[in-house]
Amino acid sequence: MPEPTPTFEARLALARDTSIRLRQAIGRVIVGQDAVVEQVMWGLIAGGHVLLEGNPGLGKTLLVRTLSSCLDLRFSRIQFTPDLMPSDVTGTNVLVMDGTGGGKSGRFELHRGPIFGQVVLADEINRATPKTQSALLEAMQEHAVTIAGTRHALDEPFFVLATENPIEMEGTYPLPEAQLDRFLLKIAVPAPNEDELTEILARTTGKPATEPERVLTREEVRELQGLCREVAVAEPVLRYAARLVSASAPDAGEAPPLVRRAVRYGAGVRGAQSLVLAAKAVALLEGRAHVAFADLQKTAAPVLRHRILLSFEGEADGVSPDQIVRELLSAVATRPEAVERAVQGV
Amino acid sequence: MDGPAQSDFQRDFGRLARRVHRRHALRRALTCAGLGLTLGAFGALGLWALRLGELRPFAAGLGLVGAAVGALVGVRRRWSDADVALYLDARLGTAETLTTALGARGSDEPALAHVVERAASVLGGADPARVKPRVWARRHALLPLGAAALVGICLAPLPKAPAVPAAPPGAERVRMNNLKGLERIEALDRLPGRSPEQDARLKALAEQAKKLRENLAKGLEKREALSEIAKLRDGIAAERLKLGDQQNRPGLDAALRSFNKNPSLRDAQKALGNGDLTAFDDEMQKLANRAETSDREAAKEALQEAAKEAREKGAKGLADALDAERRLFDKREAHAEVLREFAKGMKSKLSPEAQEDLKDFGRSGDPAAGQRLNDALERALEGLTPEEQKRLQERMQKQLEEADGDASPLSKKQLQDLAKKLGTEDGVKELENELREMAKPEQSDDSKREQGLGDADRGGSAAERGLGAVPIPMDGDGAPSSDGKGGKGGDPGQGGPGSQHDTGTGDHAGSTPEVAGKELRAKADAHMQAGAPMHGATLGRAPARAGETANQLGTGSLGSAQQTEVGAVDHSDIPEEYREQVGRYFEP
Repeated sequence: MPEPTPTFEARLALARDTSIRLRQAIGRVIVGQDAVVEQVMWGLIAGGHVLLEGNPGLGKTLLVRTLSSCLDLRFSRIQFTPDLMPSDVTGTNVLVMDGTGGGKSGRFELHRGPIFGQVVLADEINRATPKTQSALLEAMQEHAVTIAGTRHALDEPFFVLATENPIEMEGTYPLPEAQLDRFLLKIAVPAPNEDELTEILARTTGKPATEPERVLTREEVRELQGLCREVAVAEPVLRYAARLVSASAPDAGEAPPLVRRAVRYGAGVRGAQSLVLAAKAVALLEGRAHVAFADLQKTAAPVLRHRILLSFEGEADGVSPDQIVRELLSAVATRPEAVERAVQGV
Repeated sequence: MDGPAQSDFQRDFGRLARRVHRRHALRRALTCAGLGLTLGAFGALGLWALRLGELRPFAAGLGLVGAAVGALVGVRRRWSDADVALYLDARLGTAETLTTALGARGSDEPALAHVVERAASVLGGADPARVKPRVWARRHALLPLGAAALVGICLAPLPKAPAVPAAPPGAERVRMNNLKGLERIEALDRLPGRSPEQDARLKALAEQAKKLRENLAKGLEKREALSEIAKLRDGIAAERLKLGDQQNRPGLDAALRSFNKNPSLRDAQKALGNGDLTAFDDEMQKLANRAETSDREAAKEALQEAAKEAREKGAKGLADALDAERRLFDKREAHAEVLREFAKGMKSKLSPEAQEDLKDFGRSGDPAAGQRLNDALERALEGLTPEEQKRLQERMQKQLEEADGDASPLSKKQLQDLAKKLGTEDGVKELENELREMAKPEQSDDSKREQGLGDADRGGSAAERGLGAVPIPMDGDGAPSSDGKGGKGGDPGQGGPGSQHDTGTGDHAGSTPEVAGKELRAKADAHMQAGAPMHGATLGRAPARAGETANQLGTGSLGSAQQTEVGAVDHSDIPEEYREQVGRYFEP
């Protein structure tokens, strides 16, 4: 007798429960960085890749490691360096002598690169050459790699977490905008505050920490990602997302003055898609089956910050993409003006 | 998906949506009513300011119209269901649950079903008081304020009527059927002209006066009428014989010198020097009536010489007038001679008074004495018996035989005719008629014309006064001074400016006090200075050098300043149009 299909409410409750367990498991290893952990989970659930940007020593790599430990997924790490070759990422065919034919016969055997992992840590991605970067980025987009003319699909779920160091720019190859767009989120990793740092010191300078327990199986991850896609979005909410993204373009009618002045290119269609997907993940993590305006506002900064290209004037004025996003959120109204006034009781 | 949750949701949502719509319509209606009342208050204020008090309450209708418009706008522009859902989500803090559920109708997605269930549950437990939109806003304070203002304005007394702005001077219309003075201008068409051209001009002036009379009967602006009269007076002045102007002056002076040779011609010279042809004609009449032959001869000679001199000096008009006077002189002389001869013939029948008149007539040539003599002769003729008539006839025949025919201007034949007439009763009657005709004073054409033109000008002046154009209002009645001292203008009963009756011989050092010229002050706050010439008064102009005229008796600037120049513009070089405009502007 087949197992009865769980109801949507049950799936929703399970997802919420699972996400809580995952957060707790990560929290046992990672001190603080709740927002970063939360956003990484958005990326995981939404099925998008995440670019972590922060100074060295803030626990980026540890976070990714911990996450992979909590998930029953294959983990691989690529340390990007300038001499890293694409084949070092994707893998290559290697001639293997099999001993038949007098020891003179052999065959090519595929040696899979680290990209064939399910949770891939691309550490310091901006240190590799663009050629190598593009090998990774192709895999991120297509969820497949082509080696010696043969296309190899990557195992799902496939989740790339790349890190980037914003202060050591010498000898780096900044990612082009088109490639940055492949990342669902760009998460800024902040420095821990005093309490968090104290806790980190206490945990890491004593006995080695215990490995985090596996919380999610591969199927559960895929269930979460599937459920995320089912989350409903009302038409006014979709319109708000569209207006938000449209207004990030300087030549758009709704663009606020700061955008017109400081932005060269705004987010595109992929940005809008990413915004809604991330918002769905947020809704799911909060146990809702629909997206609210607040979800979009919450995800706007990590989704849009790497998709907004500042103009020379904006850079000269020290305008940050996060400022632009804040400006967009304050300029673009969620509800019609009359409704907003009625809500405010004016 | 049309399960119970969906229907519950639809029902509850519809109920709340209707409530929201109603309250919004009410809110808009109140807003528009407030605006309407405020506009109505402003409208009422405007009507109050315009003194249209009875229309003020209608402005309150604007408030009702505003309320109706507001309700209509509220209904027509009511929120969509999505807007209501957004509003309810925001008010209930349901994170767009209702908005999402609203779009779930007909969908079978499990997520949407879940959302609808949640939405139905939220709406089922929602507190209606929490979600009802606010009706009152601060702007609704306009309602009581507007209504109060409206009531206040409706009850407020109307402002005082603003003073009606004064019409431009002379803009009022006058309508007169009979403006006195115009008839004297109309009489110009009966005056003899110096030439056919002048005849035509005089007739044109008369015609113009008639037209003005007609227009006045229909109604005309006062200033227009005054302007027309001014034009007429200008035209009249242009027709008058100007002896003192630059062209006639040398001729006049030469003519006057001709009259200076004989003292008996002094009065005639003076009249001519004054440019008064009428007075001059009278003097000539007197001279022609005189019995003294030398006086008559001197007068004829002076006339002839004066005409010649005037013609030589280029004063053609004066020369013609003197020639005409000369011709008339002979006729007058003959008439006077007949009268005298006849009176001498009937001397025995005349009363002592009549005989005295005969002497006076011969001595002074006074036409009045001639008239009285003529009356006495008529009475005497009526009382003659046939025998007396016969004797008178014989006596006259005898006088005729004794008289030197060359010495008398009366022809022998004329005297014979007179004598014959005394023979019959009809003849006596005829003689009476002839005597009456001869006694009538006969004016020269120039005298008649000048007199007529002067009369017309005075008529024009009277017409101007009739229209209310008084040049300078003055106190006092202008009667002669009783004490014979210099009159003080402004004192009632004393000689005022312009009085020609003050012949006092006292010192004239008295100063003229300020004139109470309120009308003038209305134009410009002017104080008239004592001793300074008054506006509009003509002091005369002298083409000669100053002081020159003092050596010439009866001539000079005053000679050229005729009666018509009282308006001060008769000989002005300023164009007439400009004078007219200025005249209109300063018309009191």
